[in-house]
Amino acid sequence: MVNAIRPSRADYYQVLADRLPANALVVTSLGNASYLWAATHHAPENFYFEDAMGLALPLALGLAVAQPTRPVIVVEGDGALLMHMGTLVTIGAVAPDNLTVLLIQNGVHAASGGQALTNASLDLAALARSSGIARATNVATPQAFASAMSSGSAGRGAQVLVLSTEPDIEVVKPPIALDPVLTKHRFMSAIGAPRYIPALFGGGRLERD
Amino acid sequence: MAKPAAKPPDSHRPSAILDTLKRLGFGAAIAVPDGWLGEMLVRVEQEPTIQLVRATHEEEALAIACGTRLGGLRTVMFVQNAGVLSMGAGMVSLAQRYQFPLLMLVSYRGTVEDPVFYHAPKGRVTEPVFKGIGLTYARTDPHRPIGPQVEQAATYAEEASCPFALLLAREDVQW
Repeated sequence: MVNAIRPSRADYYQVLADRLPANALVVTSLGNASYLWAATHHAPENFYFEDAMGLALPLALGLAVAQPTRPVIVVEGDGALLMHMGTLVTIGAVAPDNLTVLLIQNGVHAASGGQALTNASLDLAALARSSGIARATNVATPQAFASAMSSGSAGRGAQVLVLSTEPDIEVVKPPIALDPVLTKHRFMSAIGAPRYIPALFGGGRLERD
Repeated sequence: MAKPAAKPPDSHRPSAILDTLKRLGFGAAIAVPDGWLGEMLVRVEQEPTIQLVRATHEEEALAIACGTRLGGLRTVMFVQNAGVLSMGAGMVSLAQRYQFPLLMLVSYRGTVEDPVFYHAPKGRVTEPVFKGIGLTYARTDPHRPIGPQVEQAATYAEEASCPFALLLAREDVQW
């Protein structure tokens, strides 16, 4: 829920960096969601979105399916969620135990300059619950977020934490180049994803080194 | 009068598609069904080595597929051609921009063989739109076995590091 006095994205990111589970994989949406996370906690296991608004959540779902033994954390915005709300239903149906969704609810399209949302006051946790995600909570403070991150998430389907946040319109300068292909290869190398081994006349396979 | 062409060895073409996917090690299938794809998805769901995710929208399916491929699973998508028309932004700004190799098996509705009239507008624009968004594709050849055509499409996707769409006729995919 959007509250009168809201923490900043940086406040929550500091908690996330401090409480990041071991072996976590982090997917961040476009704009400051990626830029600030790269500035706060750059790691090869981060997958930064450059654009593709609304698609961080479904990509993270696919990643959680493919990497079921590693915690997957995705940071998505409320505006981006509204573009693909059906993804909540898919997450509810797949119910991956290892997926934690952090929804930044700042009430605006921050990444494109702060334009108004179609509806800025939705109860996104209730929306997630009605989509089949039982563990969905509105969070108003970094302390409450720290508590939620410390409580563990094993074995009960995906978790959604809606973080009430002050809009951050000013663009953060990322400390690294967020080249998409480099981001992908760095990430896949870090998790030991199998590589495609070609065969001269077809029939190549994915194989681990 | 010419003799009718002999039936190809994989005369049940949907079975040959599934067998090829299993042989090539596909571990994830992301899908939005249509009338031709429904039974194929039921069969995929019964395969212990392929995890099926049923998405609510084709652009969402595309992003899920990018995620499973990012996580190391060879990934196939099953969607209708109309679904590809509605995933253009994700295609160029995610799948192509990040160079995700994805095999897209696409039911080609709205061709002259498709008796459902309302698909015609989508069939008419499918290939021009694919060309416009830079999506590499091929139509299946009904006179050749389907398995090798699927394998060639899958190989192209991996070796060119991009999505590749194989446009399927009804006899290719409807179980």
